[in-house]
Amino acid sequence: MIHSHHCNSSEHELSRRQVLGTLAGVAVGSGASGLLHPSVAAQLKAQQKRVLLIWLDGGMSQLESWDPKPGTEFGGPFRAIPTSLPGIHISELMPNTAQQMHHLAVVRSMCTKDENHSTGVPRILRGDPKNRGVTYPYLGAALSKLKGDPHSALPNYIWVKPGSGGFIWQHAGFLGAKYGALALGDGKPPIHINRPAEIDDARDKTRNDIRKRLNTQFRKGRREAQVDAYDYSFEMAEKLIRRKDLFADFKATELDRYGGHPLGRHILQSKRLIEAGVQFVQCHSYHWDTHGDNFNMHLDLVPQIDKPFAALIEDWNESGMLDNVLVLLMSEFGRTPKINQRIGRDHWPEAWSLCMAGCGIRKGIVHGKTTANGAWVDDTEYDIGHVFHTVFRAMGVDPTTTEYHNNGQPLPIAHDDCDAIAELLA
Amino acid sequence: MHRIKFPLVALCLLTPLRIWAGEPFHQQIDQLIEARAGGEVATAADDAEFLRRVYLDLNGIVPTATAVRTFLADKDPQKRTRLIDQLLAAPDYARRMREAFTVMLLERRTGTAVSDEDWNKYLETSFSENRPWDQFVRELFIADAANEKTRGTVKFFVDGGRADHDQMTIDVARLFLGMNIHCAKCHDHPNVDQFKQADYFGLSAYLMQSKSAKHTTLQTTFLIENVATAKVEFESVFDSGNKQQTGPRLPGGQEVEIPTFEKGEEFSEPAKDGLPGVPKFQPRQLLATHLTDPSNRRFVENSVNRFWFLMMGRGLVHPLDMLHDQNPPSHPQLLKLLADEFVAHKFDVQWLLRELALSKTYQRSSILPEGVAAVDAPPQSYRVANAKGLTPEQTAWSMMRATGVLDQVIKTPRAEDSKFTFKDYINGRIPAPDNLSDTMLLFVSVFGNPPGEAEVEFQPSMGQALFLMNEQLVLDWLKPSDVTLVGRLEKEADPKKIADELYVNILSRFPNAEESADVVSFLDENKDRRGEALGQYAWAMLTSAEFKLNH
Repeated sequence: MIHSHHCNSSEHELSRRQVLGTLAGVAVGSGASGLLHPSVAAQLKAQQKRVLLIWLDGGMSQLESWDPKPGTEFGGPFRAIPTSLPGIHISELMPNTAQQMHHLAVVRSMCTKDENHSTGVPRILRGDPKNRGVTYPYLGAALSKLKGDPHSALPNYIWVKPGSGGFIWQHAGFLGAKYGALALGDGKPPIHINRPAEIDDARDKTRNDIRKRLNTQFRKGRREAQVDAYDYSFEMAEKLIRRKDLFADFKATELDRYGGHPLGRHILQSKRLIEAGVQFVQCHSYHWDTHGDNFNMHLDLVPQIDKPFAALIEDWNESGMLDNVLVLLMSEFGRTPKINQRIGRDHWPEAWSLCMAGCGIRKGIVHGKTTANGAWVDDTEYDIGHVFHTVFRAMGVDPTTTEYHNNGQPLPIAHDDCDAIAELLA
Repeated sequence: MHRIKFPLVALCLLTPLRIWAGEPFHQQIDQLIEARAGGEVATAADDAEFLRRVYLDLNGIVPTATAVRTFLADKDPQKRTRLIDQLLAAPDYARRMREAFTVMLLERRTGTAVSDEDWNKYLETSFSENRPWDQFVRELFIADAANEKTRGTVKFFVDGGRADHDQMTIDVARLFLGMNIHCAKCHDHPNVDQFKQADYFGLSAYLMQSKSAKHTTLQTTFLIENVATAKVEFESVFDSGNKQQTGPRLPGGQEVEIPTFEKGEEFSEPAKDGLPGVPKFQPRQLLATHLTDPSNRRFVENSVNRFWFLMMGRGLVHPLDMLHDQNPPSHPQLLKLLADEFVAHKFDVQWLLRELALSKTYQRSSILPEGVAAVDAPPQSYRVANAKGLTPEQTAWSMMRATGVLDQVIKTPRAEDSKFTFKDYINGRIPAPDNLSDTMLLFVSVFGNPPGEAEVEFQPSMGQALFLMNEQLVLDWLKPSDVTLVGRLEKEADPKKIADELYVNILSRFPNAEESADVVSFLDENKDRRGEALGQYAWAMLTSAEFKLNH
C-alpha cells in the first residue's frame, strides 16, 4: 500500500498502475529459461562489461542499512550485526547481505546536497555534471552509448520497473532518442510479442521495409526525436520478438531464493536480461520515502532488498558473472538522522551510503565514515560525480579523456571537478 | 540565412509589444509569438497538412477521403475559416472534446459509482452547447446528483480516484490551478517558493467535508458535505510542534470564516433518503464559486494554458501543473492576453479554440525552415508546428476510418451481455471486439497511460509497436473484404489510382511522384499476391510516423 505521507509527486514518476493492461496475465510459453550456463559465462568474460543499477526510489535510510548507529541519539531501534567482513557491522535488517559483505564495496561518505525529489532523481541519475546548457543522459543511456553494442540483439538499456512500460526516450538527453530506456512494466513483455502464424519472417521484413522507407521520407526537415523514438519502438519490438524465452516463468526455487515479491521478481528478471547480453539494466523499486513511520516501513522494505540482493551476489559470484557485471545499489539520498514527529526520517543528502560490487570494483571494502551520531560525513565527501567517475573507470572508460560530441560541442562524460574513488577500484 | 537578428530580438524582449485592439485576436497571438521566435518561422502548412491537423484537433479523427479531395480542390480563400467553423459545429466536436477532457480530468481512472453514460452525456452536452468554461467547472464542483442533467459531474470526484481528501486536493490544484502541490502536504514545497503548505491545507479545507453517499430511493451516488466545525490543523515536518490552522482558502485568496451554529441549527435541509442533512455551510459549494471567479488568475491562466496545449502541443506554461514564478511562461504577455480575453469573452470555449485555430502559429508547417536546426526551434518557440502524438482515441477512430471498417464497427451493436475486458481478450478467453465501445476499450488499454498518469508527452512504446505488428484485429482490417479499403483497391486496375487512394485514405494527402512510383513498383513486383501486398503497404502507412503524429 502506498502510505499517504509519501511525497510521491509526479516527478517521482510513481506509477499508480495496478497490474493490468498490456502487462497483465502474460502467458508466455515455458521454453528455454534464458538462464546462464557456465560456458556462456566464460564467453561473456571476454565480452562487454555490463551494469545492473538497483534503484530504491525515495531514499533508503543509511541508518537502517549500511551505516547503523545503534544506541546513539538518532540510531533508531534496530541493532547492528557482524558481517562476513571482520569488524564490519550493518543493520540487522540485512542478515543475508551481511553474509555477502566480503564481495561488496560500501561507501558511507556520500554527500550530494540536494534534498528535492523533483530535481533529485534526474539530477543524480544524470551524474549532476556542470551546467553546459544541455540535458545530460541518464547513466544507462550514457553507458549504452559508451559501451553498448549498436548491433546487439537486445536493447542496450532496459528499465525494469513497477507499473507501466514504454520507451522512455527522455532518459537519453542530448544523445538522441535511441539511447533512451526500454521500460518493462512489472518486468514483463507485452502479450503481442507473439506473432500470428500468417506473418513469417519474410512477410514481416517486407512490410517493415516499406514502413522504414516512409519514415525516412517523413523525417526530412522535421524534428527527428519523435520520428526516431517511434521508429525505435518498432526496432525494439522486432528484437524482443526474437527473445521471448527471456520472459519465461521463474522456477519455484528461484522465487523462493529471491523472494516472490515484486522487487525479488524484478531483480530476477534483471538478472536474466543482463545474462542475455543487455548492456545496462536499471531495476526500480518505489515507496522508499519514509517521512512517517520510518522504522516499521524499513522493517517491511529492507528485507525485500536484502534477500534478492544477497542471492544475486552469491549466484553471480559463483557463476563468474560478477567479473563482468557491476552491480550498483543506491537511492537518490539517505534519510535524516533526526527522527521527525511522525516517527519518520526525511530527505538527507548530507551523509549517506551506497553499495557497489563486481566488475572493476574491490571486494570487501567499506570506505568512508560518518560522525558518531551519523549526521555528517567525517571523512572525504563524495558527490554523485565521483560515483560516475568510478563506474566509468570500472567499465574501462577513462572519464578524463573520453568526451561526448554534441553537434561539435565537446562535453565531459562526468563532472570535471570530480574523479574516481580510487579506493574502490580493483 | 544570416540576417542580423540579435539586436532586434533583444529589443522585442525588452519592450512589451503593442497590441492594437482593433486587430483580430488571432493576429495579436501571432504578433506575440513571432516577437519571441528568435528567427525565421516555418512557412504555412499546406492545405493537406492543415486539414488533417484541424480534423484531429477539433474532431478527433482524420478526414474522409471525400473530405480530403473536396478541400484540396476548393478554391475559396476563406476555406480554412469555413472548415474550422464546420468542425466546431460538427457532432464529432463534442465527442472529441469529451474524449480529450475525460482523459485530462479523469486521467484514465475508472469507476462504477457514476455511469460512463451520464458522464459522457454531461460532457458532450456541455461542449455541443458551448457551455462557458467557468460554468462547466462550477458544475463539476457543485456535483448536483439530484439534477439529471448534471448527474454525470459526480464522477469527477467519486470515480476519479478522489475518494480521499488528499487526492481531491492534489488533483484540484493540479488540474484547475496549475499547481502540483503534492510535495507541499508535509512541508512548504522544497523548490517552488510559491507552493506553501498553507495553500495545500487551505484548499483541502474546502474539500474536507465532501464524501459520497448513496441515495436510497434513486439508487444514485451523491457527493454530500458534512458539517464543518473547525479549521484544519497542520504542521511542517521540518518544524514539528509548530501547529498551524486554516479555514478554506484559495492560494493567494482570503480565508473563509467557518460559521458556528447552535446545535440542531446546522442544516438547511434535514436528512432523508439515506443522505445526511444538507449543512447551511458547504465549503465545496463555495469553492465552486471562488475557484472559478475571474479574479482568480490562476484558474483563468491554467484554463487557457490547457486549451493552448490541446491545440499547440505544448503549454505556454509547461509542465502544465507547474504554473509558478520559477517556471515562467514562454510568452508571459500572451498568457496574460489570453486570460484577459477569455474572461472578456465570458469563458467562451469555441471562441478560444476558433481563434487559436485561425492563428498562423497554429497553421504553420511542421517542417523546419531551410537551414534551421531543430535545436534552434525548440517547442516553446512555436517556430514550427509541434507534432503531437495521436491519442489512443484518435488512433482508434483514424485507423478505422483509414482502413474502411469504421461504418461497420459503428453499426455493429454491442451485445447486451458483452463483458469485454482487455485482460480476457489478450489471454484468449474472448473473441476480438466487433463493436465500437469494445474496440475503443482495446485501443485505450494498449495506447493509453495507466490510471492516474496524465497523457501529455508523446511516448511511443514497444508494446504499442508489438500490438500494431501482431494484433489480429488490426491485421484483419487490412485484408481484402467487402468493407475494407484493401478490398476496394484489390478490384482497382490502375496502380497509380491505387497509390492515390492509399495516400488519400490513410495519410490524408496525395502522394508525390516518387511515392506514387514506389507503390506502383511494389504492386508490380507482387502481382501474384496482390491483396496481401496491398495490405502490407497499407499496414506500413498505418504504422508510419506520419500517421502516428498529428503533425
